Amino acid sequence: MTEAVISHETFSRRIWRKTWQGVGVKLGFAWVALLVLMGVFAPFLANSMPLLMSKGGEISAPVLHYLNIEDVVVLAMFALAVVLALVSLSAGKRVLLFVLGTLIAALLANLWVKAPAVMIYDEFRTPAYADVDWRIMPPVPYAPQDYLRDYQEHGLEQPLAATDGRFHLMGTEENGADVFSRMIHASRIALSIGLIATGIALVIGVILGGLMGYLSGVVDMLGMRLVEIFESIPTLFLLLTFVAFFGRSLYMMMVIIGVTSWSGYARYIRAEFLKLRRQEYVQAAIASGLPLSSILFRHMLPNGVAPLLVGVSFGVASAILAEATLSFLGLGLVGEPSWGQMLDQAVKSSMFNWWMAAFPGGAIFFTVFAYNLIGEAFRDAIDPQLSRNAGVKA
Amino acid sequence: MSQTLLEVRNLHTYLNSGGRVVKAVDDVSFSIPKGETFCLVGESGSGKSITALSVIRLLPQGIATHPAGEILFRGQDLLQVKEDALRSIRGAQIAMIFQEPMTSLNPVFTVGEQIMEALQLHHPDMGDAEAEERVMLALEQVQIPKARERFRDYPHQLSGGQRQRVMIAMALACEPELLIADEPTTALDVTVQAEILRLLRKLQDDTGMSTLFITHDFGVVAQMAQQVGVMQQGKLVEVGSTAQVLRSPQHPYTQQLLAAVPENLKRNPSPQPLSLKGRGAKNGAEAILLPSPLEGEGQGVRGALLQIRDLNVWFPIKKGVFRHTVDYVRAVDGVSLDIPQGQIMALVGESGCGKTTLGRAVLQLEKPTSGSIQLHGQELTGLSAGELRPLRPKMQIAFQDPQSSLNPRLLVETTLTEPMKVHGIGVDREDRIERAAQILESVQLKREFLWRYPHEFSGGQRQRIGLARALVLNPEFIVCDEITSALDVSVQAEILQLLLQIRADRNLTLLFITHNIGVVEYLSDQTVVMYKGKIVERGATAQVCGDPQDAYTQKLLSAVPRLRMATQPVRPATDSVLPLATRQ
Repeated sequence: MTEAVISHETFSRRIWRKTWQGVGVKLGFAWVALLVLMGVFAPFLANSMPLLMSKGGEISAPVLHYLNIEDVVVLAMFALAVVLALVSLSAGKRVLLFVLGTLIAALLANLWVKAPAVMIYDEFRTPAYADVDWRIMPPVPYAPQDYLRDYQEHGLEQPLAATDGRFHLMGTEENGADVFSRMIHASRIALSIGLIATGIALVIGVILGGLMGYLSGVVDMLGMRLVEIFESIPTLFLLLTFVAFFGRSLYMMMVIIGVTSWSGYARYIRAEFLKLRRQEYVQAAIASGLPLSSILFRHMLPNGVAPLLVGVSFGVASAILAEATLSFLGLGLVGEPSWGQMLDQAVKSSMFNWWMAAFPGGAIFFTVFAYNLIGEAFRDAIDPQLSRNAGVKA
Repeated sequence: MSQTLLEVRNLHTYLNSGGRVVKAVDDVSFSIPKGETFCLVGESGSGKSITALSVIRLLPQGIATHPAGEILFRGQDLLQVKEDALRSIRGAQIAMIFQEPMTSLNPVFTVGEQIMEALQLHHPDMGDAEAEERVMLALEQVQIPKARERFRDYPHQLSGGQRQRVMIAMALACEPELLIADEPTTALDVTVQAEILRLLRKLQDDTGMSTLFITHDFGVVAQMAQQVGVMQQGKLVEVGSTAQVLRSPQHPYTQQLLAAVPENLKRNPSPQPLSLKGRGAKNGAEAILLPSPLEGEGQGVRGALLQIRDLNVWFPIKKGVFRHTVDYVRAVDGVSLDIPQGQIMALVGESGCGKTTLGRAVLQLEKPTSGSIQLHGQELTGLSAGELRPLRPKMQIAFQDPQSSLNPRLLVETTLTEPMKVHGIGVDREDRIERAAQILESVQLKREFLWRYPHEFSGGQRQRIGLARALVLNPEFIVCDEITSALDVSVQAEILQLLLQIRADRNLTLLFITHNIGVVEYLSDQTVVMYKGKIVERGATAQVCGDPQDAYTQKLLSAVPRLRMATQPVRPATDSVLPLATRQ
């Protein structure tokens, strides 16, 4: 029986096809895809060390020795995602395998990957690396934390202003590091904070909102009060307090943004579930004596999740903005580059450095814009009014 | 027959949607003489409403085109008239009333203001005082009680029937010559429908206007029309006098439609308990089959599958800051009922009478406030979800709305096999799939349908899948909650016949909830009539429908529009000045 081919369009496929119809959404996805590629392959795109070199007949890849744990995990996740996209499995299994694979990769990377604690980037411009038979350098031959100390007078240079053989497409920042390189590496932070913070919020919001909507009554009443409490917490001030007390950590930011922004998703899911509970197929599922987990996650969630996706794409954008705001206020990460931090540098020095504002600012703008475009396309595809018009029968 | 008021010749209406052209109305011709009623009847999607909207030119201009045809209203072709001139015809000479009384009135204006606006639009020289007087008269004309006080009421203060009367008053305020009524009673209860139909007939006699009446209900046709046109897929397949069409239809489609009306369905003799036969004396059958609740208490009635005792389902009305309960909506109020094994029990009542709530309470989908429900002597109320689970397979439910009764995200296969898996029916997946396929075949669907999603099916097919889902657990008892009321009459007939067959094959007990008396008479063995949360009458169907004892049941039954009225005078009670069109 199972070999019967399902040639008919499923609900999710229909939503996806309609989402994909506009031009804006394609541009939005293209931008996000570009960021993903930049984030994943950042060490190979912008680094001070050669990708591959041959010295005295011996071929080596120095870049591999300097990959840190994070780089390895991100690369493993990307490879896993590509493999899972090619294998035909149900969506639930794919997500499960992806999470499992990521955990295993993180574990193994922690055990085996040992990146040198101190990096001296000037070294790569010494004869040990420069006098070789041949070498392949990354497209941007500067690491984000490479402050080019072996050169004189190189801080805050305008794009393409260097005269001593260096090439900085987007200029340099106040310590002398290449802005383009920092932009590429910062895309990883922007993406991960958006996705992980929203992921945390989503898990909390769906579980609490789902229980509130399905059980209603006292659970709903208490849940809604909890939602109101969390809605009254100003995320930014909480972040400031935590940064002041516990120091700066990207993971802490992700958790705080996630833990304070689930209330919107809980409201969405609760409203959907209150409506879905009255739907006849849910009543039929209850009448058939199906277990609660099946009713909640099989019969209700897939039908109520669509409006949530809209909220998620807007949520990702706002998490990116929160991190940028924090970095702009000077409370972001210290060593790692981030777009907000670069904006901060644009106004910090005595004069206005336009390249420090335009490029990271533009990147933030386009990223938020891209997520909003995607969210809007989802909303249009899901809107029952629009789909009814589109699905008009003879 | 005096002169013709409206003549539609070779009307074509094409709708363009998304690059596709749909021939919604395809070469339709008919004419309405002055003072007569022409009924357009057909199933959903047959183009009857589009025809009416074409006549009054209310279709969106970008979408609808009329490649050919003429609509002659008093000799003037409406298709050629300019938009400005049309406005003076619409409302003043051709008025329209719609199906949904809840949404056709503007909620922020009083009903008086709305009628006055329509009136003054077409009579700009009319003063306020005079217009108000005309509105009062119009409201009195449509027999709204205390019409003068109603003038300043808002629409939400009126019932559905009263709103439809206001709509009629608005339509009639300008004394139109042609009234287009698009399913004006479909959303109303049957007793209200009877009043509205009577009112429309009386107004027609008083004013001498013509009516283009659109309906899907042949019972209504029999009551209203002199002429009837039957539409199928945009074509008018049969036109003739009402009595002629209803009695001896010529076109096969009309024959098929009329044969599908529950009144005309032939019922096979069904397996009935012997106790019913031979003791059919009036009042006797009821006493034997349904002993009074008190007698049955404790000892358990032989043959009663389900016993309901003093069941209350009350919904609290909460008010104030602390949401304290000020009162209850008594949806089901002190109901006691025995459902005998192997019988089809019909639960009849108007909307809001609590019949659906009762059906859900029986399955514990709605928590009863108090009372007892016993299945085979086992108490169901107060059980937890886990305790109920082993009992669930014995009782199932099928729903009304084909749109929402199936999970759109799941394959039919998943919908059917998941309950089996949970209850341990079938040894493995293959076995369960085979069982599901057999059940699909037993509801006359193909087994390949397992591998499809709900949106690929028609309404009737979805209702069959809904029935299949109820059947997969081999239940003894199924609650059918209005399962045919969203369906066209021919599909309804198929589903009803299917139900009877399944019942016979599996010795099922059914609680069939409906508002359609015709369906009750065709299908059920026992009938229970509910009114305002209470049971007012019950007994064998033939007895309840043939010789109702309760005043409400009598009113309900007399309000049902029936086909056989076609052979009686259409307007018995009024002093018609016009000769009846045709009568045999």
